[in-house]
Amino acid sequence: MRPLGLRARVTSVFTLGALGLSMALAVATYELTRTSLLEERERSAVRAAYFDAALINQGLGGAEPDLAQVLRNLDTGEARRPLIRRDGTWFARTADDGLTSAVPPRLQRLVEVGTPAVQLVRVRAEPAVVVGVPLADGAGYFEVTALSELRRTLYVLATVLALVALVTTLAGAAVGWWASRLVLRPLADVASAAGSIASGDFTARVARDRDPDLDRLAVAFNRMVDEVSVRSETDRRFAADVSHELRSPLQTLSAATSVLDRRRGALDGRSAAAVALLAAEVARFESLVTDLLELAKSDQQAERRPVDVGALSRSIVEARQLPPGLLEVSGEPHELDIDPRRYERLLVNLIDNAAKHGGGVARIGLTVDGDALRLEVDDVGGGVPVEERDLIFHRFARGRAASARGGSEGAGLGLALVLQHVQAHRGTVHVTDRPGGGARFVVTLPGAA
Amino acid sequence: MPRLLIVEDDDRIRLSLRLALEDEGYAVRDVPTAEAALAEHKSSPADLVLVDLMLPGMDGFDCIRAIRRIGDVPIVVVSARDDTHDVVAALEAGADDYVVKPVAVKELSARLRALRRRASGSGEGAPKARRFGDIELRPEAGEVLLGEEQVHLTRTEFRLLCELADQSGRVLSRQQLLDRVWGYDVYGDERLVDVHIGRLRRKVERDPANPVHVLTVRGLGYKLAP
Repeated sequence: MRPLGLRARVTSVFTLGALGLSMALAVATYELTRTSLLEERERSAVRAAYFDAALINQGLGGAEPDLAQVLRNLDTGEARRPLIRRDGTWFARTADDGLTSAVPPRLQRLVEVGTPAVQLVRVRAEPAVVVGVPLADGAGYFEVTALSELRRTLYVLATVLALVALVTTLAGAAVGWWASRLVLRPLADVASAAGSIASGDFTARVARDRDPDLDRLAVAFNRMVDEVSVRSETDRRFAADVSHELRSPLQTLSAATSVLDRRRGALDGRSAAAVALLAAEVARFESLVTDLLELAKSDQQAERRPVDVGALSRSIVEARQLPPGLLEVSGEPHELDIDPRRYERLLVNLIDNAAKHGGGVARIGLTVDGDALRLEVDDVGGGVPVEERDLIFHRFARGRAASARGGSEGAGLGLALVLQHVQAHRGTVHVTDRPGGGARFVVTLPGAA
Repeated sequence: MPRLLIVEDDDRIRLSLRLALEDEGYAVRDVPTAEAALAEHKSSPADLVLVDLMLPGMDGFDCIRAIRRIGDVPIVVVSARDDTHDVVAALEAGADDYVVKPVAVKELSARLRALRRRASGSGEGAPKARRFGDIELRPEAGEVLLGEEQVHLTRTEFRLLCELADQSGRVLSRQQLLDRVWGYDVYGDERLVDVHIGRLRRKVERDPANPVHVLTVRGLGYKLAP
């Protein structure tokens, strides 16, 4: 699995941090608020119970007081419900067993021995506070105050706090995303500049940043690009100079030799033989230098343009004075995006290779499939031994087959050039056996990416 | 005997090319600078011009443009530079063909013959005047009219237009145009076609950026539409 990107990691850290912080704050706030609200409710319940107990004490002053009547006279509102326990008997406004059972026995005992007490309980799943106050004649007064309103308040509070925590977490994620973008932006700029430079645009630079920390990166990167582009320009100029310095005298040699060669018949035997040697070697030297200069341009990409590969192949076959029937084209004919110069060079080199080392071309098969093509050049020679099938594509390849192929005839650059032209198209080339004897060179060129 | 003018600053190349091309049957004059070439061409026009790009003083590109202003003599660049920009710039300047040194005399001679054939044979086999929208092609007079106005085309451009017109409406691939217009069996240099199509459009299209007659057919080639 791919590890998470820096940006995703920074964002997650911000998100988790915001989540933890907001959760902790929410929980603390909730707890503090709950405790203080509860204490406040408890205090007011106690105050009210004492007040009511005082009233009841007054009401109990007379002889044979009607306890139920006394309770009914109390003004307690909806939330507070009074109870009296005397001699083990409960007195309430109405018959309400649920209510009497809500008073915990421990609280009853405390009140019986004359100690006021307060306790939180649940009455039918609702929170409530029970306050017990001893009455004058050994009886106990209890007041059950429902806290359902408090429960609702706490519920609203919890909801609000959860929402706030969620929003804070999202905000944390957003800040993390934004901050990582801010921090990574210079890296993205550098990456896109490096991409342009890699594809040959040496004018690409990274914009200076106002932030001194980020600016160092931009300055260092730009300085590196300056250095590289100066060096590459120097190399390019050197290659161009070498090319010019080699091509110019070769032109003179070539033209002058052709003048001599034309008059070979008029020369004596020794001179004629010398001129023939001269002409052959000049021609060989010419193609060697052209190939070397071509190889020196190995870093250049294919200049793809729409090419009618079928027609181009036919022209090349005709130009090499081969019978047109050798070329078999299959697949739908249309223009492909390839580099026509490179295609021409690679086909010519394969044809020359077959002619020099393979006893001549037996067949050229061209298959067009969508944007891709497959080219097969068959010869009638002895084939290439398996162990040398990679070797023969090396420059100045040496080896049994390579020397037989490179030999005195060529410098062994032709197939290296083929490989280079194929690689410029991100294609492949390999040699295999031709059914029925001979070698088969197979080139595949994929469409433009 | 066709008159050939060689513009080349390297004395040895100039002399060797002169000797070799005289053997091929040309009446060769050779000059070392663009300025001398212009003077020579003005005083006695050549049938073909070979130009080197790197010349002292006025360079090869300016030399091509200056010769083009005088007339439509076929111009072949013979240069040691093989950068795409040099090729395209030379063709844009008005050269008809481009070869890289060292070029075998046989090949150079074949290219010159093809250019000569084209230069002398323009319009043959295409006797009738034809009309494509506001373009009128008069092969017998070697004229092209855009509306009422006569357009001046070089012979290569004219030949290109004629080949497209002969196929009226059908598509010709770059390689087919290369074979038909440049005439020798080569060499996949379809930049020749693209640059000349561009030049042709600038002359016969009212808006060369949005051509309505000389159309590119993506994946196939070019065609001429009415």
